[in-house]
Amino acid sequence: MISVAGITKAYRDGEVRRQVLRGVDLELGPGDTVAIVGPSGSGKSTLLNILGALDTADAGTVRIDGVDVSASRPAALAGFRNRSLGFVFQFHQLLPDFTAIENVIMPGRIAGRSAAPLLASGMELLDQVGLGDRAADFPQQLSGGERQRVAICRALVLEPPVLLADEPTGNLDTASGEQVLELLGGLRRRRGTTMVLVTHNPEVARRCGRVVRLAGGRLTPA
Amino acid sequence: MGFVWHVALRYFRSTRADAHIRVLSSLTAGGLAVGTAALVLALAALSGFQNHLLADLSRHTPALQLELAGSGAGGAGDATEEAVALVAWAAATHGVSAVQELLYARGWLAVGASVEQVEVLGFEKAPPVWIPVENRAARGLIVPMAVAQKLGLAVGETVRVFSPRPGLTPLGPRPRTRTLPVAGIYRSDRADYEELPVLLPLEEAATLFAGGDRRLDVTLEPEAEPEQVAGFLRETVDPADATVIGWREANRALLFVLRLEKSLVFSAVVLIVAVAAFALLASLSLVLSSKRSEVGALAAMGAPPARLQRIFLALGALLSVGGAGLGGALGAGVAAFLDRFRVISLPPDVYIVEYVPFLVRGSDVLIVVASTVVFTGAASLLSARKASRLDPVEAMRSART
Repeated sequence: MISVAGITKAYRDGEVRRQVLRGVDLELGPGDTVAIVGPSGSGKSTLLNILGALDTADAGTVRIDGVDVSASRPAALAGFRNRSLGFVFQFHQLLPDFTAIENVIMPGRIAGRSAAPLLASGMELLDQVGLGDRAADFPQQLSGGERQRVAICRALVLEPPVLLADEPTGNLDTASGEQVLELLGGLRRRRGTTMVLVTHNPEVARRCGRVVRLAGGRLTPA
Repeated sequence: MGFVWHVALRYFRSTRADAHIRVLSSLTAGGLAVGTAALVLALAALSGFQNHLLADLSRHTPALQLELAGSGAGGAGDATEEAVALVAWAAATHGVSAVQELLYARGWLAVGASVEQVEVLGFEKAPPVWIPVENRAARGLIVPMAVAQKLGLAVGETVRVFSPRPGLTPLGPRPRTRTLPVAGIYRSDRADYEELPVLLPLEEAATLFAGGDRRLDVTLEPEAEPEQVAGFLRETVDPADATVIGWREANRALLFVLRLEKSLVFSAVVLIVAVAAFALLASLSLVLSSKRSEVGALAAMGAPPARLQRIFLALGALLSVGGAGLGGALGAGVAAFLDRFRVISLPPDVYIVEYVPFLVRGSDVLIVVASTVVFTGAASLLSARKASRLDPVEAMRSART
């Protein structure tokens, strides 16, 4: 499902060149769940962005669901992200001008799906996360936990085979974080979604099938 | 509704919520309204004036002229007869209603010791329509007011006409001259910039000025197409015999000046639209700046760069179409009102018309619409390209910083 080989990535910070990733390898099959842990600034989000085709590696290959992400063109990558990947961002990144349900179905609108079945799927997801009655609310009317749950619904509305989540509970209190983790666990079990979670939270890591540590630009089993 | 318009409309609605963007977008709409209204009004005023001027010109100028070749070298003779015959044929087949032969020459008028050099025009049937003679049936010398005043002439008095071509007599070459009565005096509003001719019947003119330039003035039926008839005559007339000059060709310089005037006024007034387009650019840049992380999120969700670009093009259209539409309608309405009720009056002794006429032409409106689309489109495109080139990761990070 996900095959990462020899990924390197460096940033230029003024005159200084910072090597963030130094030959990262990772193999994940369908339904696998991996937590990437590591200190701040170790390159976890960078690796997640490369996996999500939002950033490019300096060297190495990334194959997801049979697609060589590292060799694809931007327009093709946009379509690939829409079809095959679901993102949950640390800061939810909901669109404030759209209601909860409109946010949830946005990937489907980008894909050009017809509205009626899309709305039905979106409402079903919101019901699953206990937000069916908040569908018409705007993000600013929702709590932090509710926003993150809406963001997870948005990531899953097109039933992507891969879910990438960056600190999905990072901004949440314990109770909201627990809700989000329950939701992700349930979805993995029901849909067999492959999940890559970047986290600092040991509880989140503990619930994943596999935990790897990113330090010094390399991935090692934690 | 598609994804692009769905997002653009929602962003358009959000421009009402942010005070800065609201002010800028209002300035954009207002500027475009003023610009398009000013453009429509300016072009309508010019079209109105030009319409009156051209109508006046067409009343005073023959639809077609045939300048007969070789007429200055001792008489057009055969060429004239052939051309007249041809035009007579054209009359039957191509809508020519009348043909008149004219003769142009220079000569002198003498009354006592006063002598005045004048342009002489010999007419065949009646004075040409573009000479404002009151009594067209008069068959003597018809003198412009300026010449009459210089020589102290009045209707009924006699005047000697001299030709520069001498006539041969048993006593040797003598100036050709004839004494003719003044049958009429005319006044023209063109006297300030044009030398007006002294008119006399063609047979008199031909006797005195045999070597003058001859011309056929062709009048057409109302439904006839001047360019079509001119084309036919050009194909048929031997260029060695005559040159066919259409109405537009004869007034080429004036028509060029009118077009130039319209272009210059348009170029000056369109600057208002250009300034409004800058306001649109500022509005869209502000919207993009405030929506930066959201555009990044849309890109992360798989919105391709081209569709992100189209969102901002659509937003630019939404921000500009209202102002431009309102301005266009306002300009056309005000122009119609000013023309209908003749609100702006003019001194009739200076202008050919007593009020400022306005004429809203479809082609002018099309030009205004096109120029507005070009300016606002360019402004929108600049912002739209910026949106499509956003790095999604950097854009989403901006929400946190």
